[in-house]
Amino acid sequence: MKETAWLVATLVVALALAAAAQTVTVTDTTGHAVTVEQPVERIASAYGIGTYYVYALGAGDRLVAAWFVGVKSAAQAPASLRAMEPRLDTLLRAGDPNVEDLAAQGTDLVLADAAQYAAVAGPMSDLGVPTLILGPETAQGVVDTALLLGAILGEEAQARADALAAEFTRVYGKAAVAATATPAGSRPRVLFLGTSLSSVASGAMYQTQLIEAAGGVSVSADLVGSWNTVNLEQVLVWSPDVIVIAPYGNVTVESITESADWQSVRAVRARRVFKMPRVFGTMDTPLPESLLGVEWLTAALYPDRALFDVRSDAIAFYQAYYGYALSTEEADAFLVP
Amino acid sequence: MTPARRRALSIALLSLPVALAFAALFVGRYGNGVGAAFHSVFSAGADETLRALILRVRLPRTLAALFVGANLSVAGAVLQGLFRNPLVDSRILGVSSGAAFGACLAILLTGSALAVQVSAFAFALLAVAVVLAVGWRLGATPLALLLVGIAVSAFFDALLGLVKYVADPLSKLPAITYWLLGGLHASRWSNLVPLVAISGTGLGILFLIRWRLNVLTLNDEEAASLGVRVRALRISVVVVASLLVATSVAQAGMIGWIGLVIPHVARAWVGSDHVHLVPASAALGGAVLVVLDTIARTALPGEIPLGILTGLLGVPAFVLLLVGYVRARGGTR
Repeated sequence: MKETAWLVATLVVALALAAAAQTVTVTDTTGHAVTVEQPVERIASAYGIGTYYVYALGAGDRLVAAWFVGVKSAAQAPASLRAMEPRLDTLLRAGDPNVEDLAAQGTDLVLADAAQYAAVAGPMSDLGVPTLILGPETAQGVVDTALLLGAILGEEAQARADALAAEFTRVYGKAAVAATATPAGSRPRVLFLGTSLSSVASGAMYQTQLIEAAGGVSVSADLVGSWNTVNLEQVLVWSPDVIVIAPYGNVTVESITESADWQSVRAVRARRVFKMPRVFGTMDTPLPESLLGVEWLTAALYPDRALFDVRSDAIAFYQAYYGYALSTEEADAFLVP
Repeated sequence: MTPARRRALSIALLSLPVALAFAALFVGRYGNGVGAAFHSVFSAGADETLRALILRVRLPRTLAALFVGANLSVAGAVLQGLFRNPLVDSRILGVSSGAAFGACLAILLTGSALAVQVSAFAFALLAVAVVLAVGWRLGATPLALLLVGIAVSAFFDALLGLVKYVADPLSKLPAITYWLLGGLHASRWSNLVPLVAISGTGLGILFLIRWRLNVLTLNDEEAASLGVRVRALRISVVVVASLLVATSVAQAGMIGWIGLVIPHVARAWVGSDHVHLVPASAALGGAVLVVLDTIARTALPGEIPLGILTGLLGVPAFVLLLVGYVRARGGTR
């Protein structure tokens, strides 16, 4: 009788534990506790940045609807993105999320950003579907976002998130050691251009953090807000040592180096104008591939140091996290000219 | 006002924009003050970069400010007279909304500066053509033109909303937002020809017919009794004013308040007679925009959108004018 009582008690505890193990509760970036039933099988990512994390953690095949940052239509998507995700046409969404569409996909987890909270999280929660709010804005934020998703997407995702976090620690640590070896006054002064010759990154932007992590100083760090418009006169006042062009938009290296107006800028005279390479995700955005952004920038700012083998690291990164084999041309684009 | 005093005031008013534009060339973020800038232009072997900046960047931009300011305020002045409504400005005929849609559509589709300018101008003309075509059928009365203008503006505003909605937030939307706030930073010698040609012609025409513009402020019967073909004159003035606004918006984006406020300031100085009001509005509008653009390109490392500056200056000026006007009339009734 006594044994039976113990057996029943043990069974009850085991069932309770099993029931508890079927849900995971995490705190998202806005401080909301979110409980997610396990396993998560149908993900809708209404957050164009968050989508790339799902792929990087090996859960891309669980997406049922997804927004991709910078991609408004399948026709406009880079060929590499279509090669990485053959289901792009059915998955891709743009504009504001439609709650009924997300529900119709049988979604069991929604990823969103803080701006979408009221429009998405409330209605989805009424349907019993949790919404996780993400919004990485720093390197630490990128790592935290990966770990947060890793905690709810299963063991493989957890292992990949841990590996990504370790990679960030390795790359940022190595870059920081090299950066501190250069006195603050002699670090390269960098201008980060956006989608036009007059659009520059403010001090609050992720691009400025990448420049600093790579041992450079952003000449436009004092500007506030998002992309700022500056005139040629201000560029001449700054006369940066290096000009970096964002990996999207129509600005080319030649549009600067061949312009008569820019010839007196130090970076143009020294032929140190570079455009960031792009595969699908953009390296100047808080995405997992921003890790390669730091490596590439370090190579651009300190060409004689050869701190990282950016080309090999890029091949290994895209294979490991996106299951995507870079073509020779794509890999070569990571070499700073 | 005695003729001698009026002549002195005219000379002072007309020399104001020229003097300010000349001074503005020597003010900027680059270089060590006005003296160095002056030296670089007039002495051989001085700072060549500064000299190139002044001649190739500041000079075309300052000229653009002069013409855009003059265009918007003259267009505002004649439209206020034509519609017999002091609250009218260049937006009333759908020109600005049409231009805004055209420019933003070009930013969305191509991003080329030339395409933006051409498309803004083309859609501005399309908007005013629709207003005139429908307005003509309704008798081309001021009220008909006004109502059709509001409707056409609303239609292009909706199309503009659609363009913004589908624009890529990373690359296209910031460019559209900035363009809509107005600015002259893209003005170069290479893209100044349409502005100068159209402004020169349009301002010249309005200057030459400024005597007749007074007739438009009368009602149709009174005007007709003076032997003026009112409908034809009204349509011609609308076309010329629209061309001035269209070329300005294509060059500088959306710059509000100049077209509404400057004519009132000019009226306070020289009176309502278009003979004096047209040149005074042109001079004051040009002068004010030169000053504001100099602030926009100099005050901060980032450009301050001109539309923000004209709003910050224009709204208080408008309220002051309104208070003065109401006081002078002894109340709001």
